[in-house]
Amino acid sequence: MSILSLNNIAKSYGRIQALKGVSFDVPAGSVFGILGPNGSGKTTLLGIVTDVLKADSGTFTLFDGPAGADARKQIGTLLETPNFYHYLSAFDNLRIAAAIKGRGEDDIQRVLGIAGLTERQHSKFKTFSLGMKQRLAIASALLGDPGVLVLDEPTNGLDPVGIAEVRRLIKELAGMGKTVIMASHLLDEVEKVCDHVAIMLKGNLLMSGPVSQVISREDFIEMGAADLERLKQVIAGHPAFSSIVASTETLQVSFHNGTTAEEVNAWCFENGVRLNHLIIRKKSLEAAFFEITKA
Amino acid sequence: MFNIIRTEWLKVRTYRTFWVLFGVAVLFIPAINIIVAEFNRNIKGETKGLFSIALYDFDTVWRMMGNVTSLFTIFFGFLVIILVTNEFTFKTHRQNVIDGWSRVDFLLSKVFWVLFLSVFALIITVITGLCLGLVYGKSDIGFDDFSAVWFYFGQMVLMLTMALFVGMFVKRAGLAMVLYLAYTMGVEQLIVAVGKKYVGSVFTLLPIQAGDEMMPLPIVDKMVPNVSLYSPTVYALTIVAYIGLFGYLVYRKMAKADL
Repeated sequence: MSILSLNNIAKSYGRIQALKGVSFDVPAGSVFGILGPNGSGKTTLLGIVTDVLKADSGTFTLFDGPAGADARKQIGTLLETPNFYHYLSAFDNLRIAAAIKGRGEDDIQRVLGIAGLTERQHSKFKTFSLGMKQRLAIASALLGDPGVLVLDEPTNGLDPVGIAEVRRLIKELAGMGKTVIMASHLLDEVEKVCDHVAIMLKGNLLMSGPVSQVISREDFIEMGAADLERLKQVIAGHPAFSSIVASTETLQVSFHNGTTAEEVNAWCFENGVRLNHLIIRKKSLEAAFFEITKA
Repeated sequence: MFNIIRTEWLKVRTYRTFWVLFGVAVLFIPAINIIVAEFNRNIKGETKGLFSIALYDFDTVWRMMGNVTSLFTIFFGFLVIILVTNEFTFKTHRQNVIDGWSRVDFLLSKVFWVLFLSVFALIITVITGLCLGLVYGKSDIGFDDFSAVWFYFGQMVLMLTMALFVGMFVKRAGLAMVLYLAYTMGVEQLIVAVGKKYVGSVFTLLPIQAGDEMMPLPIVDKMVPNVSLYSPTVYALTIVAYIGLFGYLVYRKMAKADL
């Protein structure tokens, strides 16, 4: 079953086209990251899914059915900034959210506990720090233990401990079989938390699928020798050679077919070059992302 | 609808600004009428009966209630504006929809306030009218001029629908209140005065004037009899039409616009 299925969604703000015909499916039980730099259309897309924005064209379904208010009641959502009544306490704000979702108030203490706000539950929202506001928004999204969560930049405004807690929480929720749709501009966040990803840039969907396939990060081997020019010639002659990036002291070489460091070392030795530096490295996530977004 | 009303109650339950303004708006109804009634009694005494119109006698009391009380409908309008613009200020209109209300549900939550405040004010007005008629009047209880109270109610629903309209379109409390105050307390009267003089009585069909035409001060009515050129039915239908128009515009915006 698809939790969310988007079909050619387009949206403009005046002359600016925020979404240019985006389509993808979010499978049930996945932690689905929507990754892209600021202004790529992530929040606009989630705004359309939650009916706070109207698409110019295209359609979408929730739970393989019409995307109405009843479907939204089954989804815990944190969109952009925490939106609460400033003059009300955290507890009273959650009572309102529970009433709208049509759920009882007996779950409020549980979610306040998860968010670490039990002691401040009767403080007014306007007295909260940015991190506390964000945690209250996460608590509100968790209210009623929904099967699906939509989280837009959920670690925004949190300190490092809070960020780690939220990421752990998302993994726990995924472990319980819940579907999490998370928009983020943080690459490592998506890689650490998500199993599926859609990459967006300037309103276009560049790629979507399992994280391991979309953000492919093949290894490369960093090597050095006294005569770097000779090493360059020898390594270029390797049958599995793919590409080379040279610096003043080392070469970063990519190979096809999973060539091992031992094989490379042996090849160089057989061709009269003794290596003084040999390390297997992974392509940085940023490099992989920039490769995709440049394409 | 019960869920919507309960949620709205949770929003205002501990909201001090709401209760202060609500208290002022409600208290003004008896307070201002008592002041006018006292003034009327003193005038009668001081002029030794030369000025002998008993403004709060049955059935005149109903026209007084409509005329005097309608001057303070604006406080209820401010309440509606605050309740609407708060949602935009805190972006909770988005959150309400995100959490599972339809856009129409959100609109109904504000229409509820329009109707609740109008009915509440109507009840207070009727109770005040009965009390003042009994205390200051000499006639038996009567309801002959009660239509003025219905016009007051219609005008109240219209003015609160206009407040809803201004709140929804302007979104900022301060600006919305200034525009609302300016139109209801000055701009329309000016247009009506100039329009009536140079064009004709069609200008009495503007939103607030349509209600005012049916709630003249009893004294003025005695001195300048029946100045209105249209029948009460025309004014009543005009008020209903304006309520429908503003209601439709608000609905259309809510249904189609980005929140």
